[in-house]
Amino acid sequence: MRPSHSLWADAWRQLRRNRLAMFCLWLIGAFACVAIYGQVVYWRYRILDAPAPPALAPVKAVFVKVLMAERVAGRVAPYNRQDLGRQYSPPSWKHPMGTDGLGRDVCQRVIQGVRIAFQVGIVTSLIAIPIGVLLGCLAGYFGGWLDDVVVWIYSIFACMPTLLFVLAIAMMVGRGLLGVYLGIGLTTWVGLCRLIRAEVMKHKQRTYVQAARALGVGHYRILFRHILPNVFHIVIITFSLRFPAAIGTEVIMSFLGIGVQGEPSWGVMISNARLRLWYGVWWELAFTTAAIFLVVLAFNLFGDALRDALDPRLRTQRE
Amino acid sequence: MLRYIVRRTLYMIPTVFGVIVATFLLFNWVGGDPAMMKLGKNASPRLLEDFDAQRGYNKPLLWGRWGTTRAFADADFARSAGAWRDVAGAEHRPEAGSLVVRDGVEAVVPLAFDLYPGETYRWLIAYRLPAGRAEFVVRGAADGARSVALAPSSAWRAARLDFRPGADAGELACAVRAGGGDLELRALRLRRGVAHAFDSQLWFYLRQLARLDFGASHETNQRVSTMIRDGLLPSLALTVPMFIAGLLTAVTLALLCAFFRNSPVDRFFVVLGVILMSVNYIVWIVLGQYVLGYGVRLFPVWGFESWRYLVLPCLIGVVSGLGSELRFYRTVMLDEMYRDYVRTAFAKGVGRRGVLFRHVLKNAMIPILTGVVMAIPFLYTGSLLLETFFGIPGLGRMGVNALNSSDVDVIRALVFVGAMIYVVAHLITDISYALVDPRVRLQ
Repeated sequence: MRPSHSLWADAWRQLRRNRLAMFCLWLIGAFACVAIYGQVVYWRYRILDAPAPPALAPVKAVFVKVLMAERVAGRVAPYNRQDLGRQYSPPSWKHPMGTDGLGRDVCQRVIQGVRIAFQVGIVTSLIAIPIGVLLGCLAGYFGGWLDDVVVWIYSIFACMPTLLFVLAIAMMVGRGLLGVYLGIGLTTWVGLCRLIRAEVMKHKQRTYVQAARALGVGHYRILFRHILPNVFHIVIITFSLRFPAAIGTEVIMSFLGIGVQGEPSWGVMISNARLRLWYGVWWELAFTTAAIFLVVLAFNLFGDALRDALDPRLRTQRE
Repeated sequence: MLRYIVRRTLYMIPTVFGVIVATFLLFNWVGGDPAMMKLGKNASPRLLEDFDAQRGYNKPLLWGRWGTTRAFADADFARSAGAWRDVAGAEHRPEAGSLVVRDGVEAVVPLAFDLYPGETYRWLIAYRLPAGRAEFVVRGAADGARSVALAPSSAWRAARLDFRPGADAGELACAVRAGGGDLELRALRLRRGVAHAFDSQLWFYLRQLARLDFGASHETNQRVSTMIRDGLLPSLALTVPMFIAGLLTAVTLALLCAFFRNSPVDRFFVVLGVILMSVNYIVWIVLGQYVLGYGVRLFPVWGFESWRYLVLPCLIGVVSGLGSELRFYRTVMLDEMYRDYVRTAFAKGVGRRGVLFRHVLKNAMIPILTGVVMAIPFLYTGSLLLETFFGIPGLGRMGVNALNSSDVDVIRALVFVGAMIYVVAHLITDISYALVDPRVRLQ
């Protein structure tokens, strides 16, 4: 008899054979490390000034020690350090990606951009995935009026003009990262919810669910312990394809001035570098766009491979 | 068939209602204070009040008899003294969370501006009076002086006083008077009466929509409906050619991929599709402007004077959308390629080209058509970015300008109209499906 494989083991074997997908996974891993490095640098320069309630003071002290924040007390973070004698200097050993109009190191700013991009991708997923999964599961499993209500809610969201709606939410919530998170997070759960709902409806008819019912298992246990693991691959696929889309949207939002404020996000950097290109300052724009391109491309390719490995039927889903 | 159309049209109603509620909640409730967003924190309260009144923001949100006024900001003495900091005879005690009016003192309530004659106002007072007498007086009201006696009590009590300002609003004075003991105030609020319980922001919004009136821009004071009418044509001039060109290119390339499936040509386009998809929209615009507009000087970069100004944004739009379109249509075509009817056609000796163009393309028209109809709403909003960076005076640029100046009415109208167009487009698709495919009608 052929040994049994789980869906995940099978998918992993298939991915392992796909050299391009593995390369993309490595690339994503490398960017994730860069993002973590960026986060550490960011905290290191921020933590001494960060307000903490007295109850959390010991935790803060531990972090200050671990990050060695006292050594850099009073100094400006590297991505904001200005050097007015070295404006617009082209790439060199000291500044591998050159400097911008205030003499700030572009490399450090690109790293902070990676941090913000990953933050946006993760936080928006953390908003969108629970909403989409919960509503999709409940609507698909229980049907009836609950289904009607969920379908009603997502059809309202679906008919909003996408980018404008995201920007409008961000504007109403307030400019800044929170607006970006909510704007993207609250609009992207719709597709996931729709997929999960359809899939749960299909699984509800399967014999394993009937068997569980016959054994007297409760509805919620069936839904979240039996059905959900069987549809969870959809969540993984959606996550890997939504991640680059969220990054792209954040860049557009920040570029338009609705997104990140006062931090070196990629959108802000492109917006600054755009006009300098006309004076021959190419490095700021080139390295920023290259970084965006690589991250998004790696995620897109890996997401595709993952989808092909886990559930090729989802291919006709339009993003 | 008619029954299907009627039923399908009725299904639209909850969605339309939902869109109305959603836009209302987002822009009236989440948004906080549009007057402050527009006029800034330093604007005079009177200016803010007029702004609110013009747009119905000073009414209750859903229903109720009392709306807000900026003449007196709600005072919650547990948090701060508010406008009472400089009032003679009143002393704020942060530790007790109250304002004390001393025995024998009359403290005049500080109002930000003269109340409007003809309106009804109501004071809501939360107080405690361990001993003595106290009253809340309004002098110069339409029917002379009005007052409410504050009954002695050692527990917190509530009192209220309704009044209408007289013709000369400058005469009006509201005051708290204590005699025989100290009066403690915990909260003081001023409310403005509205015509009836449903005279709310929601009602105001619904009435506006019923008249197809989307309010006026804060920025230019133009009617939003006029602005939309003016902006529609430039937007369509950009998006319609862009859309048609994009669709034709994508479908042609997808057919090509299906024709040469699993060959180097196919693989090349698949890789190209992912690469095109991964380049950010903004990068296309910046590079397009720089290389084709500035470097080669093929096209003008900014303005809207002749068709030549539209070529570059169109081109950028097509290229940036091509990646995902190509991938989508290629998958659609390939899905069709494995159907039984294709095998049958091949088996009876139809050539590859015949199968592709006569059989597959015809069947693939359904997803293509869905894509086309669903794209119609996006034609209307235009392309936010393209219009902004090529100076095309369409709805997209209008939207971005409105976002930058926090022009709530304009954004709300654009979102609402966009959603409505989507709903109608959806309806048309479903009805045309039913016309083409009888199975749909029975569901």
